[in-house]
Amino acid sequence: MLVIGLIVYPISRAVWLSFTDKLVGYPERFVGLRNYLYLIDDDGFHAVVRNSLVFTVSSVALKIATGLAMALVLHATWRWRNFFRGLMLLPWITSTVIIALTWRWMFDAFPGRGFFNSVLLDAGLLSRPIAFMATPAGAMTAVVVANWWRGFPFFGVSYLAGMQAIPAELYEAAAVDGAPPWRRFWHVTLPGLKHVIIVTTLLTFIFTLNDFNIVYVMTRGGPGTATQVFATYSYEVAFNQLRWGRGVTISIFAVPLLAAAIALVSRYLLRDRTA
Amino acid sequence: MRDARLTRRNFLAGAVGASAAFALPGVAAPAVKKGTSLRLWILKTYVEPTNKAIEAAAQRWAQKHGAAVTVEYFTFEDVQTKYVAAIENKNTPDIGQLETGAPARFAGMGQLLDLTSFARQVEGEVGRPPANVAPVTVIGGTTYAIPWYIMPAFWYVWRDVFEKNNVKLPSTFDEAKAAAAALNRPKDNFYGMGQSWNRTADGYGVMQSLMYSHGVGWATKDGKYQSIRTPKMQQVMKWATDIYKEGLQPADTLTWTGSGNNENFIAKNIAQTSNGPSITFAMENAVAKATDAKDRKAREEALANHLALPHPAGPDGRRMWAIAMSFGIFKTAKDPEAAMSLVAHLLSPEETVRVMNDSYGQFTPVLDKARAASKDYFSKNENYRTFGRAAEWFSATGWPGPVTAAAAEVQASNVLTDAPAKVIVDKWSNEQAVDWADKKIKEIYDTIGR
Repeated sequence: MLVIGLIVYPISRAVWLSFTDKLVGYPERFVGLRNYLYLIDDDGFHAVVRNSLVFTVSSVALKIATGLAMALVLHATWRWRNFFRGLMLLPWITSTVIIALTWRWMFDAFPGRGFFNSVLLDAGLLSRPIAFMATPAGAMTAVVVANWWRGFPFFGVSYLAGMQAIPAELYEAAAVDGAPPWRRFWHVTLPGLKHVIIVTTLLTFIFTLNDFNIVYVMTRGGPGTATQVFATYSYEVAFNQLRWGRGVTISIFAVPLLAAAIALVSRYLLRDRTA
Repeated sequence: MRDARLTRRNFLAGAVGASAAFALPGVAAPAVKKGTSLRLWILKTYVEPTNKAIEAAAQRWAQKHGAAVTVEYFTFEDVQTKYVAAIENKNTPDIGQLETGAPARFAGMGQLLDLTSFARQVEGEVGRPPANVAPVTVIGGTTYAIPWYIMPAFWYVWRDVFEKNNVKLPSTFDEAKAAAAALNRPKDNFYGMGQSWNRTADGYGVMQSLMYSHGVGWATKDGKYQSIRTPKMQQVMKWATDIYKEGLQPADTLTWTGSGNNENFIAKNIAQTSNGPSITFAMENAVAKATDAKDRKAREEALANHLALPHPAGPDGRRMWAIAMSFGIFKTAKDPEAAMSLVAHLLSPEETVRVMNDSYGQFTPVLDKARAASKDYFSKNENYRTFGRAAEWFSATGWPGPVTAAAAEVQASNVLTDAPAKVIVDKWSNEQAVDWADKKIKEIYDTIGR
């Protein structure tokens, strides 16, 4: 009952607020679908949906690729393996705000401070600093990179655990049949990791779509509205404009997308299990 | 919008308002109950000595009355979040420092006590604020907060750079832009200006100064919406976007946060920027922290060369948007009488001057007697003389009308700075951006006055 209460009450309250014109300090009034219709017509919100998808899909794709690479490297037998297993977890255990600030500094165009600019200027490859975060594409790249860096160890560790659960006999049998390493990866490792990949992707998709800290600290949604995503836009509308009803609606908009993803994956997993 | 009935609390507030005002100097003050405990929320700025001075002033009152004051800080970053959370959780402080738009917003929500009678008493003892500052705290004829100081913005320039290049110090926005063009040396990573249209007061504040100085306001004198789709607003948008299009600023200017212009100015990457006196604070502090004689000389030269000019004027005059800080007392205050006594203590010229002396010029008192007492402080040098005149140019959010909840939301929605950003980043035309901003502003006025 407690668990149901903890889940059902906040969600139902949020859904209710999305049907009201709740302003901070005022009682809410039911307005039906007005908030939803407003957002459907709001060009700012259209950009938010686009930005959120670009941010989420790019980050998750990068995490999957690098997580797999990390797991493969750490799965192999070599001398400093345990040390590097610990080291690779560093981004995951570091505070998100610290990560965001660090990456902001790294992309900074302030002379003598931004890491990338300093390296490129010192190497003589640039004569003037590049303002990485001044363009929509550059700013989006910066927040995606920071989010990827923070999140890929989770994938790596999960995949590593998955790889360790794959029976060694399968690899031996494949080797006896003359399968080269990439075929073993394709036909043994990847199918063995299928469930782990699906679950980690789904979980991270949800976390990333709801991510606030990195974007807020690094760009505040700028330049202009180029990196404004669901969470930052929802915050701005709810806390700066004091329009709670509309702010909540922005977050609720992402729910059907997430619910569909969860339903699809659950169905897939259940089908696999019953087959 | 507000409940017009005379509630018990309102009645009580009116009554205690009159009595608590007697806590002001020279008047027989009613005793504050021993053991009274108050929560005071104040703004934490970059200038740490100011924060400490306000806290110390509050503690002096507590000591005098055998009471307790818990000082809690908010910053520009979290001011909205903290107040919103407190209001929705019915956990507001007894007394809160309020920024420019807050009295109108919070009064509209019915959160603040009516301080009209208390304000009259304060006026009798400490004087009144200038006519351009007063409307920040008077909403619909009722006073909901007492103004204390304004935290202004000035036009910082490097005097030596201007002199070396024989460029006239700017007094208008057009002159500032012309000077930027004359001083711009991108090849040396030195730019003529650094003005970001970001989501901080350095962005929306300057945009308002630019608009008001060109005679553009989105509200009428009585606070109603009026269209900004005018030739004057086109002029404003042209200035705001040309400084980017013409390469007069570092390429990352739009991405600066609140400290970006401070850092770039102090590092001498830009010739001019709009900012509060926190730049002066940093430069005075830098001298104190010099490591050797050579370093000290360099820092002293830099301090002497940094010049705070009055904010540029436009074709319609010189109007500077600034943060006007006031004290409001929340209806949830457990002891409104004690709260007013504390506010009266903080507003006294003696305490005001003490805080101001630790403010490095960013605290410009607005009440008559405090202003008179601050004359010496503001005659320290050329920069301070300019700081001392800040109230003359002050224009509040929603000029030429009063500060209203709708006007405050226009500022908070970032529409004013998103409009030029749409031209600079998304390559919209100036006309498109003005039309877009006008539509958003109208929508705010259509929906906020419920």
